[in-house]
Amino acid sequence: MSGALQTLIDQPYKHGFVTDIETDTVPKGLNEDVIRLISRKKNEPDWLLEFRLSAYRHWLTMSEPEWPNVHYPAIDFQDISYYSAPKAKKKLASMDEVDPELKRTFEKLGVPLHEQAALAGVAVDVIFDSVSVTTTYKKKLADVGVIFCSFSEAVHEYPELVKKYLGTVVPPSDNFYAALNSAVFTDGSFCFIPKGVKCPMELSTYFRINTQESGQFERTLIVAEEGAQVSYLEGCTAPKFDTNQLHAAVVELVALDNADIKYSTVQNWYAGDENGVGGIYNFVTKRGLCQGVNSKISWTQVETGSAITWKYPSCVLLGDNSVGEFYSVALTNHKQQADTGTKMIHVGRNTRSTIISKGISAGESNNSYRGLVKIGPKAEGARNFSQCDSMLIGSRCGANTFPYIQVQNNSAKVEHEATTSKIGEDQLFYFASRGIDAEEAVSMIINGFVKDVFTQLPMEFAVEAGRLLGLKLEGSVG
Amino acid sequence: MAAQASGSFLSTLLAGAAPGGARQWLKQLRANALERANALSAPTTRDEDWRFTDLTPLYRLALHAPGESGAVDVEAHRIAEAGSRLVFVNGAFREDLSEGIGGSGLEVVRLRGEFADAAWLSAHLGQIAAFAQDAFVAANTAAMSDAVAVRVPRGVTIDKPLHCLFLNTEANAVSHPRLLVVAESGSDMLFVEDHIGTVDGAYCANAVVEIAVAENAEVRHVRLQREGKAAYHIGTSAASVARDGRYRCWSVAMGARLSRHNANVRQDGEGTHFEMDGLALLGTRQLADTHSFIDHARAHGTSRQMHKCVVADGAHAVFNGRILVREGAQQTNSTQESRNLLLSDKARVDTKPQLEIFADDVKCAHGATVGQLEAEEVFYLRSRGLAEPEARNLLTYAFAADMVVRIPVPSVVRALQARIIERTGGPEIP
Repeated sequence: MSGALQTLIDQPYKHGFVTDIETDTVPKGLNEDVIRLISRKKNEPDWLLEFRLSAYRHWLTMSEPEWPNVHYPAIDFQDISYYSAPKAKKKLASMDEVDPELKRTFEKLGVPLHEQAALAGVAVDVIFDSVSVTTTYKKKLADVGVIFCSFSEAVHEYPELVKKYLGTVVPPSDNFYAALNSAVFTDGSFCFIPKGVKCPMELSTYFRINTQESGQFERTLIVAEEGAQVSYLEGCTAPKFDTNQLHAAVVELVALDNADIKYSTVQNWYAGDENGVGGIYNFVTKRGLCQGVNSKISWTQVETGSAITWKYPSCVLLGDNSVGEFYSVALTNHKQQADTGTKMIHVGRNTRSTIISKGISAGESNNSYRGLVKIGPKAEGARNFSQCDSMLIGSRCGANTFPYIQVQNNSAKVEHEATTSKIGEDQLFYFASRGIDAEEAVSMIINGFVKDVFTQLPMEFAVEAGRLLGLKLEGSVG
Repeated sequence: MAAQASGSFLSTLLAGAAPGGARQWLKQLRANALERANALSAPTTRDEDWRFTDLTPLYRLALHAPGESGAVDVEAHRIAEAGSRLVFVNGAFREDLSEGIGGSGLEVVRLRGEFADAAWLSAHLGQIAAFAQDAFVAANTAAMSDAVAVRVPRGVTIDKPLHCLFLNTEANAVSHPRLLVVAESGSDMLFVEDHIGTVDGAYCANAVVEIAVAENAEVRHVRLQREGKAAYHIGTSAASVARDGRYRCWSVAMGARLSRHNANVRQDGEGTHFEMDGLALLGTRQLADTHSFIDHARAHGTSRQMHKCVVADGAHAVFNGRILVREGAQQTNSTQESRNLLLSDKARVDTKPQLEIFADDVKCAHGATVGQLEAEEVFYLRSRGLAEPEARNLLTYAFAADMVVRIPVPSVVRALQARIIERTGGPEIP
């Protein structure tokens, strides 16, 4: 490996800084009292407290999953503070009232909130730790009937909607981390697009983990009614810490007849230093339900951060003719571990799904694709195409592919392909002969490798994601 | 409940497996295996390796050790090209039915009683098929009172195939046939591992075949599983291949109510070449499970694998193909394909091609497809005047026969083609 490649691999985390804002944190530990306290602090209705408590009771009976291809020291769930909110402030009327410290943080991240909102036409619902601080462009959305607010606000303003859909896609008993999230989630986003409405702008949320040792438990719920259409962006960066932080989010998407939801993520959480110390544990449950006929859910993700990623954005294709898509780029470096992929559960007739996954491993990292394509006995004419490519940079990293294909209907057609390769000497030589140095050549090859996925990203994200990959791999090939 | 059932099943499996034998190393090997077999629990669908293959009906069987087999007619199972034949009936070696060993160039040792010991036996037996984590291999190793070892001496090419016939003739019996094939450096041989059941009742065959391929040697292995229709067949074939060695395996599973084949190949030196072709041809309520594991532990290895399943009626095919490229196994070139044809709406396929790669300078690819016959292909044949059933049969036959014609033993090819035609109702072949 050349020096250039090495430097590229060794890029320090550019977003590592801690914002100093007083936070209101509950003592460490988890029991029913802590859950009651969270619920009380958030002034929640009884049904939600019940939801939390029953999830907690179920969680107590579950054990941590051991099947993922990741290794980490046991997590002490009693050593985590389950609630942390910036100190209560009065409601903010405009951007000017936002804490200047917070604004500076976003600027460092390259997210000039007001500018981005104004210039790009993006409404940003900023999640700072667990409580929503500011929501912009709300009015414009309200004009067309779109509800886009923090989860806690939705619980108070639209309890019927939340109650109707919460936990319908990812039930609290779904898995260990989903149960934990259901018990202790603090905030998140809620988005509702009513019948026939095409959301006039791309909705975007920046998540940011701030308080050291506060696990973050986000809950996102997006509902698109009949014929509605929405594109949702989620982007993440986190400050540099030495203590591993647990992040167990749950994202639920519901698409009714003819609805279309596009969910894009760029994840660049702190991955730990080159020795694997610190970094976020990202154990996320994301699932979309194509409930109605002709509905469509599309996941696009660019995963570059976290010490450990355990994430399978999935689609349950219940409605006839519904469509599920999954486009993913996962880059791991140093000692990062990623076990990510998707599940496409075909239930309805003529359902279609596409999976494009590109994994890049460098350093001593381990990158696994784990996917399930399941065709149920009633899924007449179902169709799936999967392609999972891996690229290895350096001889000490690993790339694994675990595709599960389960077919119970003979009219279905399922195709899976996977390849593993490296950046060839001959490719670099060709670039060199054209006067392009190794670093730029690698960047171009990588960009070509991930192009199928990046073209799925909304414009602003594609630019940011391209920059991120370049940053992560600066100096890593030769 | 399930654990209890499977626990008592293992003791059934081990009935009569008192480690004996005159040779101390063999006694010790069997004692170690017995200890492991007792420590392991029989697999259930909760084990990832057995997730799609439910052994509960096997655990419910009242099995016993087989009795004396008496006179058996093996003429019908003869393979014309074979130069020599080893016959096992219900797991026990039958010297009286075997033939052609003297003069074949092969050395055959029956590991029973005061056999003539040699270093190559203890160096390989029980060393290739690992029993530490596999209850069935452990049970076989503990129970092998009549294993047979075959040696191809250095530099010798055996022209005619060796036919290893494993017959099962007794219902409710559990057999543990065991075979070791050692191909010394520069040698070349072909053997046919042929499992046949002649009884309609249920029985359990738990077979283990170990293959050691020395430097620059070549072993071709044809594996036919034609067990009885109510049979349970658990088979493991494990090969270890030294530098520049070549191992090719053609495997056909068409019998048994439930069958499992663990095909493990390990690279023990650089520059080896593996080829694995597999076909499962299933109907009624059959289940066939193939788990292959190709371990590229050294550099410059190549492997090619193609596994096809034709699944009719309410049958169920399972394929799990694991390819591991270890750190340092640079310049590995490996491809794997899983092709599955579903012929009925009750048929089911679970396939998982699996790549685990820890070296960067490698080329690895795998693919999997599941589907039914292409409507366009059926249409084309119909436009040529074939009725729809014939068109479908012809295409199904072509899909399956494509694997069979690769087998390098013509009479086996013809016999299998005839069996496929029976199953598909396909065309007469000249």
